Amino acid sequence: MGLIERTPLASIQPVKFLLNWGRKYSLWVMNFGLACCAIELIATSTSKHDFIRLGVIPVAHGPRQADLLVVAGTVTDKMAPALKRVYDQIPDPKYTISFGSCSNCGGPYWDSYSVTKGVDQIIPVDVYVPGCPPRPEALLHGIIKLQEKIAHEDIREKWSGKLTGAPARS
Amino acid sequence: MESSPGPLPAAELTERLRARFGQDLLESSDALDQAVVRIAPDRYLDLIRTLRDDGDFACDFLDFVSAVDRGDDGFDVVVQLWSTTRRHQVRVMVAAGKDEPRLPSIADLYPGANWHERETWELFGIDFEGHPQLVKLLLPEQFEGFPLRKDFALTTRLAKPWPGEETTGEGPE
Repeated sequence: MGLIERTPLASIQPVKFLLNWGRKYSLWVMNFGLACCAIELIATSTSKHDFIRLGVIPVAHGPRQADLLVVAGTVTDKMAPALKRVYDQIPDPKYTISFGSCSNCGGPYWDSYSVTKGVDQIIPVDVYVPGCPPRPEALLHGIIKLQEKIAHEDIREKWSGKLTGAPARS
Repeated sequence: MESSPGPLPAAELTERLRARFGQDLLESSDALDQAVVRIAPDRYLDLIRTLRDDGDFACDFLDFVSAVDRGDDGFDVVVQLWSTTRRHQVRVMVAAGKDEPRLPSIADLYPGANWHERETWELFGIDFEGHPQLVKLLLPEQFEGFPLRKDFALTTRLAKPWPGEETTGEGPE
């Protein structure tokens, strides 16, 4: 049990606001780039679109450093176990953006023998960004949607890992 | 740099192959000025060896090995060869059979054929006899079936039929 779960402080409105405000502008992003969508994600991180101004920090050196996982591209059934493994390594609280049609639902590969039809079969997803591939603006919009979600979160519940089905902590 | 004899036109390539293989060269045509030949399966290795070793052809580079599912006519294996010195190419088509398609491996002649044959084996189920390591290359280990065969059932298509017009098999050969 961590401090956050034990203290009633986190449910006091101003404290909750402050903690969530801090968290939503400090998202280390893990780029799980698998196809052309990864290029759009990288474009979003560069100077023209620059998601650092929204507090998204590129790029976590590994999943254990990350808060936000962006699955950008075509997940295949062969890749799916690796994705699950990366997700499990991200410490709570963690968030997932499914970026692009392929990771949302299989996209143009909806009838393929090898493509996973939606990454939400493997891991929980917070925000879906549609498009093939979506433009960087779409990812920025998705990030803002995620931040709205974080702002209204009960962080004690989120911290507990129960929402994401994370392994129980000792 | 040594000057090479230059590429042979498709018709010339076919003619020289026909002089060596006669009736065993079942069909020949040219597609965009590259020779396309169909060879009898029992002369397949001879043909590949001739194309590689004979100075007329000098096909020293294997471009790809793949296959075509022709339904009731069985499977065709397609081998594309390229000569880096003469700069011409030859496409070899050979029937591999229908129910238990099999062909001798050419991985000992062209090491580059190794992975191509593995891929063709796992996607079409064509057995390449004499291949040094015929195990899955791209598919997950637990995958069952040969997904590029026409009779492979796509589960998503069973749940939701193809929304557009089926074009497979309706066009000209």
